[in-house]
Amino acid sequence: MAIIERPSADVAVAGAPTVVKPSEALGVFKRPAATSSWKDWLVTVDHKKLGIMYGVAAFFFFIVGGLEAVLIRLQLMGPEGKVLSADQYNQMFTMHATTMVFLFVMPMAAAFANYFVPLQIGARDVAFPRINAFGFWCFLFGGIFLNTSWFLGGAADGGWFMYAPNSSTLFSPTHGIDFWVLGLQITGIASLTGSINLIVTILNMRAPGMKLMRMPIFTWMVLVVQFLLLFAIPVITVALFLLSFQRTFDATFFDVAAGADPLLWQHLFWIFGHPEVYILILPSFGIVSEIIPVFSKKPLFGYPIVALSGAAIGFVGWGVWAHHMFSSGLGPVSVAVFSLSTMAIAVPTGVKIVNWVMTMWGGKLTFATPMLFAIGLVVQFTIGGLSGVTHSVAPSDTQQTDTYYIVAHFHYVLFGGAIFGLFAGFYYWWPKMFRRQLNETLGKWNFWLMVVGMNMTFGPMHILGLQGQPRRMQVWTEARAGEGFFNLGFWNFIASTGSLILSLGILFFIINVVYTHKSKKVAIAPLDPWDARSLEWMTSNPPVEHNFDSIPNVDHLDEFFHRKYEQDANTHEIKQVATAEEVLADMNAHPDEHIHMPSRSYWPILVALALPIICYGLIYNRLLMAVGAAFLLLTMFGWAMEPATAPDDDFDPPAPGEGGGTTKELAPLG
Amino acid sequence: MNPNDGMNDNLNDNQRHGDSVKKTPRRRLWALAATGAGLLALAGCAKDAPQDTWQPAGPNAEQIDNLQQPVFLVAGIVGVIVFLAVGWAVFRYRDRGQGIPEQTHGKPVLEITLTVIPVLILIGVAIPTASTIFDLAKTDDTEMIVNVTGQQWWWEYDYPANGDNADRYGIDAPIVTSGQLVIPEDTKVLLRVTSRDVIHSYWIPKLNGKKDSVPGRVHPLRIEGSQPGIYAGQCTEFCGLSHAYMRMETVVLSRPDFDAWVANQLSSYTPPAAGTLAAAGESVFISQCARCHQVNGLANADGSLIVSAPEQYVVSGAAPNLTHLMTRNTFAGASWDLLNSSCRDDVWNATPEEFGARYLAGVSEPCLNQKDLREWLRNAPEKKPMYADPTKLQETDGKYRGMPALGLTEDQIDALVAYLLELK
Repeated sequence: MAIIERPSADVAVAGAPTVVKPSEALGVFKRPAATSSWKDWLVTVDHKKLGIMYGVAAFFFFIVGGLEAVLIRLQLMGPEGKVLSADQYNQMFTMHATTMVFLFVMPMAAAFANYFVPLQIGARDVAFPRINAFGFWCFLFGGIFLNTSWFLGGAADGGWFMYAPNSSTLFSPTHGIDFWVLGLQITGIASLTGSINLIVTILNMRAPGMKLMRMPIFTWMVLVVQFLLLFAIPVITVALFLLSFQRTFDATFFDVAAGADPLLWQHLFWIFGHPEVYILILPSFGIVSEIIPVFSKKPLFGYPIVALSGAAIGFVGWGVWAHHMFSSGLGPVSVAVFSLSTMAIAVPTGVKIVNWVMTMWGGKLTFATPMLFAIGLVVQFTIGGLSGVTHSVAPSDTQQTDTYYIVAHFHYVLFGGAIFGLFAGFYYWWPKMFRRQLNETLGKWNFWLMVVGMNMTFGPMHILGLQGQPRRMQVWTEARAGEGFFNLGFWNFIASTGSLILSLGILFFIINVVYTHKSKKVAIAPLDPWDARSLEWMTSNPPVEHNFDSIPNVDHLDEFFHRKYEQDANTHEIKQVATAEEVLADMNAHPDEHIHMPSRSYWPILVALALPIICYGLIYNRLLMAVGAAFLLLTMFGWAMEPATAPDDDFDPPAPGEGGGTTKELAPLG
Repeated sequence: MNPNDGMNDNLNDNQRHGDSVKKTPRRRLWALAATGAGLLALAGCAKDAPQDTWQPAGPNAEQIDNLQQPVFLVAGIVGVIVFLAVGWAVFRYRDRGQGIPEQTHGKPVLEITLTVIPVLILIGVAIPTASTIFDLAKTDDTEMIVNVTGQQWWWEYDYPANGDNADRYGIDAPIVTSGQLVIPEDTKVLLRVTSRDVIHSYWIPKLNGKKDSVPGRVHPLRIEGSQPGIYAGQCTEFCGLSHAYMRMETVVLSRPDFDAWVANQLSSYTPPAAGTLAAAGESVFISQCARCHQVNGLANADGSLIVSAPEQYVVSGAAPNLTHLMTRNTFAGASWDLLNSSCRDDVWNATPEEFGARYLAGVSEPCLNQKDLREWLRNAPEKKPMYADPTKLQETDGKYRGMPALGLTEDQIDALVAYLLELK
């Protein structure tokens, strides 16, 4: 058993003043001790618990955003729909996109990154654990704040792209857009702090021997995404501040009458917005790049190329933003440049598809649910990628942009791609996180219903778009529907029906989770249910709080696989030489000592709580804003004055014969 | 531009795949590829979808179509190849008890090949794309100019009375209309697109791709129709509450028909005969409508001309000019037809030869779509979502966005309809 010990603060050095134990000296600022109650989740800084909280919250918002989507599809099921008024419809599609992008896919990717990056690189936690917790609470409070607008006079109604000048108070007089702007600012803090945290963690805290080119590919993709976030979030932050100042303080950044050019907003939004697309998809690319090799019993084909093409997407992704603006009146030179750069980015993306197929090629494939979702991503993302190439052709895009063809395209990429990747991750890592394997039969129902539903919903939208049905339309009319096989009426009906099947598929996932954890028949999952390849499986299910009893030395890419299997020198056959249990027992035979884990903290949740108070104040009452600001200052002071460690009783007792902790190291200050 | 460039690259790609997959029946591959291509081609031939993007009716849209057809084909073929490769891998390499495969980390030659092939395909796509972009941006051979202005939630067309417009088409006074843009056949028309409030987008799929109308900017958009007819379109940049009801149509007329249309638009106003229902309607119009809607030549009893002042009542500062309302066959941002459905079908389904005469006949009383027009006059914001509730206009100093409910009596509506029918 590894020993988590408290740092000894009172090693007397002759002549030196007695060292004061901070936890005692600053009584009111004591760090909370570990408990097993639910309150522990409020003060935890454990990356695994935060990962689970990110996941649960994000899934909640997934359901919210999904219900919004179903309402949209019910409205469009027939001509001149009556389910939603124009006003409600505009709020619905604005919030559907905002929720899915900012409150589901991004935080769900953050959930996986939080939970698995430290495990995959053999670290005990992230570099800044308290900031990690602060990021989660910012995301949660930002998301709740944003959604309270539904009950306070209506949500934002300008579309998730929120083009100026339609976003000014003149054209959107409710507070919806104010909530939207401020809510996204708060969640933006989560992304920004998270990105710095993970970059530092990945670059500095890898286990001995884990070179960058031995990192699991998921961690690689997370690293690329964090750099994208680090540079993209500030751009949207600036844009949101400009809009905020325009709406709240009558600034004129986008006011045409005052000489502004509304295209400024579009450029700012899409300089953020396009890298954002890769922020959404790359984590899922990472997940399936973990899963396909495991279920093919082969290493990822062309690992360095997959890693570097991810990085290449990260770079080129900054040079394509204006392809969202081909019809917005840029000159032909800009259009041509962005058209060509958009085609260029198809290359590193295509490389990934090729590498996944080649990984399966010649493998020994098994088709458990994670693998099915991964293959689903490969196929559906290919469709989305190819339709993407068709509108990189700018003249063609001027016919397609702002029609359902684009809606089809990005749902194939984001639902068929990103979300399928996330579901692959749920099934793959569930036993690691919760000791139980999700039911395979229910999993297959879940998968196939989602495949059928997703393709029925978004497949027909290609036709709708090419037949000229624009996006963001509260109603479509019989007069413009046509009569042939491709008439809008039929395909709108199919798409709406598909959305119900898709919802049913997702319901099966929820049923699966409930069944897996409530049914007494479900056994504890084996230690290594998938015969995995990477470091996160080289510890117990779920991992102990300090992740590894002993930090492994890494000699290979796919270290775990290499500890389990060896190639026979003569026959070249690959043979299992150790089970997962044996590998783990071998590692745990020599547990590390002097492990220091960060202590829990009250302050992340409290500092984050100050932000929505300030924002409500900004909208309704400047006095409330001052109260929020004062609360923010106080809590930041508390954070700063917090002692580095928890009280004495929060540590393992000294192991017998070791004479107690003698180290003077302190826990990470985070 | 040679669209076949891209296709040839793809054939090579296909063959290479065929070689590396030794046992794939190549015929099946081709059959599937052909099916995919066939489906895509079918998508281009659907009947009667007025905004179909695959049925160009003018050279600009045709140029786009010539570009997109091969691109879609190539994309479809690449897609089929990927699906076959995935399908084959899933079928051939599923676990049938074979040993653990060799732990290969990649084959550089294969990887480079499979990177270079898409690069070549994309170069094949990029070259015609770039040249088409510049072709479509040409404006130096323009023959006619129309200013197109978007506002919530309708389009205004303003034919300036100078240059070619005056010299070649006899437009010697500005023509201001809305809902339907009328242009002569085989004429390179330059639309100067702008907006009075938020961003809209002008799009007639059969004539060209879309172009945003942005306040403070004027964007050039060229359209040209090769055949007389009506071409439907819709605002495609989200523009607020009634975005779905911001539609438009472009009408292409033969040159003689266009000349007749111009002459009619420039004809002067004839007040309705005294004592008729229409004359009563004129006074309703003057008291209720004329403050926003201009009718050129409309005069007060004392003979002074009435000039509308929409800028006092409407955020965008404009309302449709109704001088020759009944020569158009739509109203309220082309959201509803002024023609009843049978008369509408006569116009929309007319052959190119018959079309001009039927269109120029305008809207007569038996053809009028009484239902929608009356509902509109009774309570416009109920029919089309607009910001016209006087109690909720603090942000706009009481100005409307859209048309308010006027609280007309049924008698007033009867008179007004009779009057509007005179506006030919």
